Amino acid sequence: MRSRWGMTLLAALLASSVAGAALAAETVKVGVLAPFSGPFARWGTQFRQGIEVWQKQHGTSVDGIKIEVVYRDTGGPAPARARQLAEELILRDKVQILGGIVFTPNALAIADLITEAKMPTVIFNAATAVIVRKSPYFIRVSQTIPQVAAPIGEWAAKNGIKTAVTAVSDYGPGFDGEEYFSKAFKAGGGKVLESIRMPLSTADFSPFFARVLQDKPDALFIFGPGGPPTVGMINTWASRLKPAGIKLLATAETQQIDLPKIGPAALGVVSAFHYTETVDNPLNKALWADLHQMFGKDAVPDLATVQAYDGMHAIYLAVGKLGARAKADDVIEFMRHLAFDSPRGPIRIDPQTRDVVQNVYLRKVEERNGVLENINFETLPMRPDPWKEDHPENK
Amino acid sequence: MAFATVLLDGVSYGMVLFIISVGLTVTMGLMRVVNLAHGAFAMVGGYLAVILVRAGVPFFAAALLAAAAVGVLGAAAELTIYRPLYRKGELAQALMTFGLVFVVIAALTMIFGPEIKPLPMPGFLGGLVDIGLRPYPAYRLFLIALGLALAALLWWTIDGSLYGARLRAAVDNPRMARALGMDVGRLFTLTFGAGCALAAFGAAVGAQLLPLEPFYALRYLVLFLVVVGVGGLGNFRGSFVAALVLGILDTAGKYLLPAAAAYLFYGIVLVLLLWRPNGLLPSRSAA
Repeated sequence: MRSRWGMTLLAALLASSVAGAALAAETVKVGVLAPFSGPFARWGTQFRQGIEVWQKQHGTSVDGIKIEVVYRDTGGPAPARARQLAEELILRDKVQILGGIVFTPNALAIADLITEAKMPTVIFNAATAVIVRKSPYFIRVSQTIPQVAAPIGEWAAKNGIKTAVTAVSDYGPGFDGEEYFSKAFKAGGGKVLESIRMPLSTADFSPFFARVLQDKPDALFIFGPGGPPTVGMINTWASRLKPAGIKLLATAETQQIDLPKIGPAALGVVSAFHYTETVDNPLNKALWADLHQMFGKDAVPDLATVQAYDGMHAIYLAVGKLGARAKADDVIEFMRHLAFDSPRGPIRIDPQTRDVVQNVYLRKVEERNGVLENINFETLPMRPDPWKEDHPENK
Repeated sequence: MAFATVLLDGVSYGMVLFIISVGLTVTMGLMRVVNLAHGAFAMVGGYLAVILVRAGVPFFAAALLAAAAVGVLGAAAELTIYRPLYRKGELAQALMTFGLVFVVIAALTMIFGPEIKPLPMPGFLGGLVDIGLRPYPAYRLFLIALGLALAALLWWTIDGSLYGARLRAAVDNPRMARALGMDVGRLFTLTFGAGCALAAFGAAVGAQLLPLEPFYALRYLVLFLVVVGVGGLGNFRGSFVAALVLGILDTAGKYLLPAAAAYLFYGIVLVLLLWRPNGLLPSRSAA
């Protein structure tokens, strides 16, 4: 009601001669929730770089409407803090759109709030499949874990891998990875010999991987939370299992930004992911060029950079189409039909699920000109989230 | 066959825990300071080694130089930050040293960023060695050899040298030691610095197992405290036994019962402490 009243007011203003001045002053505020401090601060940095590159390429306003990004630091997975910051952004800063959100618990914590406040919220990361179901105002431009874990299982079954062991970190996303890798791998005729869950606090992975060695699988699928555990898993694989001929299959573990920490141990790891840093398209090239120009030669795009870049793309399209005072329901209705080109390749939003549909790439870690990179060798075009098909919405 | 591998894994993991934690047992046993910043000294050593290796210094020289630098840093910290804490209660000590951890984390994050800093090992440690049964990573064997050598050196220092005799005397009865004319203050400074240097050395050589990043000091703090607690405060031999026992039991447990891995380590600690509340070797002496 309030925004309809706003439209009436706007119409009145437009009719009057001060219309020009009023339009020039219009601003859409976008609140971005992300960790900018603590052990997960890289997410915030990468989000910000993605957003700033987008704004450099497309300006800070759309059709004369200024887009102002307001950043708020959530620290790590902290549901209460995320909710409080979202509330402040909505009530005090009067943002019209929310974005960001790295962790699933944070996304779930704000679901009721954004429903109540009718706040369109573009998820730049949080990847647990169920999230978008929790509020009709969620749109996700990132990925879901089943979306990338199933393809690597499929690929393995088709490419001479008969048996596998899964070893995942003992937390929600790890279970999703384990479930969807196994499901796809078994559907393709593969056999999962053992499913191991390793505590997040694990420092030494050798006992788990000694077990894998005993199982003698053709391949090992891992899923880790990034940071020290992921480096530990890949190093342990390289020193124990690689010499025994056991292949390593992964998803987010081999991002180019992380490869220098792992070193040559990562060579040969096959992974499935929705963004490959070396993918050949003009948007990706421009992203690299602008990142280097703005943030120095060491800047490397990762999933966070690209997802934030695409999140801004979606927001700019909506504001350009609907103006500064659109109703939340209209924004969501518009966004659920979006389709555009991203540095990762073409993406679209599924109108039914409000979740992203995109290419999933199979790639292998190789060394080129002294740099460890992921090189695509197969593209699975426009994959939806398989979880949604397995869990139809009951109404 | 698998059993031998798991045993070696456990021993090498235990050795890293021992090298890093042994300094802490001396601090907590000798000076009775709840030193939660021990991991921070270790971490600073690891980072220094990274800088040195990048500047072209060979790995072992870098680890030793980093250890020496952190030893000096530790001695300086003992004189300035820790000394006033000796007479304060445990709460003040815990708060102060915990605060120090956050200062170091923030400083390292500011200078190096929040990411892991890889510390490349010399090439010959990256390979596999045939130990008769199956190829085994050379790095792990190196850790075991190094841990044993350091334990022997410490044993001799504490049991055989004059410094060791003074240290034991000061731990047993600091007031009596002072009355006999020993400079207990200087002994504390020296020992604190040595403990920090060992931690720094351990962080550098153990970087493949415990990767270096700014939250290192908090992430592994519980492990270090557990080794000290289970070993018995102030008991260096206890720390050695505790690190080995925990390393082996934790590793074997994860291998045999991966489903229980999340609580197994803490379960073992619980049982050990119920059995020996004052640690495995709760002798009154430092040795």
